[in-house]
Amino acid sequence: MASSKKNKAARKIGFYTGLIALLVVSLFPFFIMLMTSFKNSKEAVATDPTFFPKDWTFQHYLDIFNPDIFPFLAYFKNSLTVALTAALLSVLIGIFGAYALSKLNFIGKTTINASFYTVYMLSGILLVVPLFKIISGLGLYDTKTALIITMIVQTLPTSIFMLKSYFDTIPDDLEEAAMIDGLNRVQIIFYIIIPLALSGIISVFVYSFMVAWNDYLFASIFLSDSVNFTLPIGLNALFSTPDYIWGRMMAASLITALPVVAMYAISEHFIKGNMTEGGVKG
Amino acid sequence: MKNRGKSDLKLAWVLLFPSVFLVLLLVAYPMISNIKISFFDLPINPRLDATFVGLKNYTDILTDVEFIKSLGITVLYMILAVAGSTALGLAVAIFFNRPFKFRKAARSLIILSYVTPSISLVFAWKYMFNNGYGVINHLGVDVFHLFDKAPLWFDNPVSSFILVVLFAIWRYFPYAFISFLAILQTVDSSLYEAAEIDGASTWEKFKNVTIPAIMPVLITIITLRSIWLFYMFTDVYLLTNKVNIIGIYLYETAFAFNDLGKAASISVILFIILSIVIIASRKRVKFNGNG
Repeated sequence: MASSKKNKAARKIGFYTGLIALLVVSLFPFFIMLMTSFKNSKEAVATDPTFFPKDWTFQHYLDIFNPDIFPFLAYFKNSLTVALTAALLSVLIGIFGAYALSKLNFIGKTTINASFYTVYMLSGILLVVPLFKIISGLGLYDTKTALIITMIVQTLPTSIFMLKSYFDTIPDDLEEAAMIDGLNRVQIIFYIIIPLALSGIISVFVYSFMVAWNDYLFASIFLSDSVNFTLPIGLNALFSTPDYIWGRMMAASLITALPVVAMYAISEHFIKGNMTEGGVKG
Repeated sequence: MKNRGKSDLKLAWVLLFPSVFLVLLLVAYPMISNIKISFFDLPINPRLDATFVGLKNYTDILTDVEFIKSLGITVLYMILAVAGSTALGLAVAIFFNRPFKFRKAARSLIILSYVTPSISLVFAWKYMFNNGYGVINHLGVDVFHLFDKAPLWFDNPVSSFILVVLFAIWRYFPYAFISFLAILQTVDSSLYEAAEIDGASTWEKFKNVTIPAIMPVLITIITLRSIWLFYMFTDVYLLTNKVNIIGIYLYETAFAFNDLGKAASISVILFIILSIVIIASRKRVKFNGNG
């Protein structure tokens, strides 16, 4: 009895040691980012690195929000415009497409399903050359619109598949009852499908936002004027300039991560089950 | 609702039109124009003329040692990163597949590296692995004495390669972890109890109960992650300029060496490789949106 109790305690200690080790590995770069953002410029590049700042400074956070010193806010605004617009449209267009594929019977359904599946696997890198030509041809080079459209297409197949799997769980009886009550298909989408699949719709929105927020590839080929830069391309462009101060970049990196992380936290709270939906392509 | 097939067709097309239109315009059409462009010598500058060169781009690429080398590095990167992130994800999922305090909080924290944008993570890694003041070198040399002299991480191809593989494993294992945890939670615990009564060892339980249960998820994760890592660009491009994976090779051919035709021919070659993989995997990967 006593030995099994001891055994249990030892196993518990072993388990929590493992857990802590895992968390240290997972979170170490975030810890470094956070601490460096509070270090002064000299301490950040000391050859004898410290884990915690000796002199805490909040100057880097003030600097990144000061447009005269650092263009972070402008990039942040561009990223927000692109990601919000793309995610909203991707979800909206996705809802209609997914509804058709989930609830309607028509010829060609299997083919469309299969093509979206193929597109889902297709990587953006394969399309950079012709997309660059098309975007230039349409006169959209160096516009946020180019990026928004590309991000919609990048996320749309995934949106449709995720939404379709949510819509599939809504019973047909509900729709039949609504039709007897006189609702047409479009009304059904807005009054029944969207409210019932809301948690799924939120997770699709978060996924699409995340892909657009994270994009470097298309931003780097479509944008040339720094006025239009989104965060990934804007911050990377600063990497080799005199504006580059580690503490400042770490503060910027953290604030860049914030919207996505906050959205995940909120959506996870909303959504029962888990969020295996959608992978980050890249 | 089953017999309404005919009347649904019109509505279905109205609803699907925006999606289909966008996908045709910005995926299917570009894919086809890749083939066309690949037969031309096409500079980025639109004022310069395109010259038809036939199969020259293809023969150039397929005889280019750099291309073959890059393909090899990419495959190695893909295999190591997929194996590492999948194995680690599975191990952590098994580790988490029991009730304990803070489980939900710990799970959310582990997912952080997966949901954070690459640019933020890359800066943290660049700083941590800096040759002069990076904390990793400090820990490795002065604290834990793992190496006498820290490798100049970003300055040579081998240590840079190790770095990008580690980065990919660290960044993508949470994806495997969440997927595995979800499926593990559906496994009937009586299967393990039965195996235990039969005197099965931990390894036997893993082999006979866990592996068959997670098989569909395992195949899906390996397939999708392999494809995505094969076409990786951003993470590696931002982290180091010493590892020329195929995505970077393509990007630089187009936008650094100004040769869109050659880049298009690389896209076509890669698309053929991808098609073969997709056709081979179609029957095995259960795709339901849970990528």
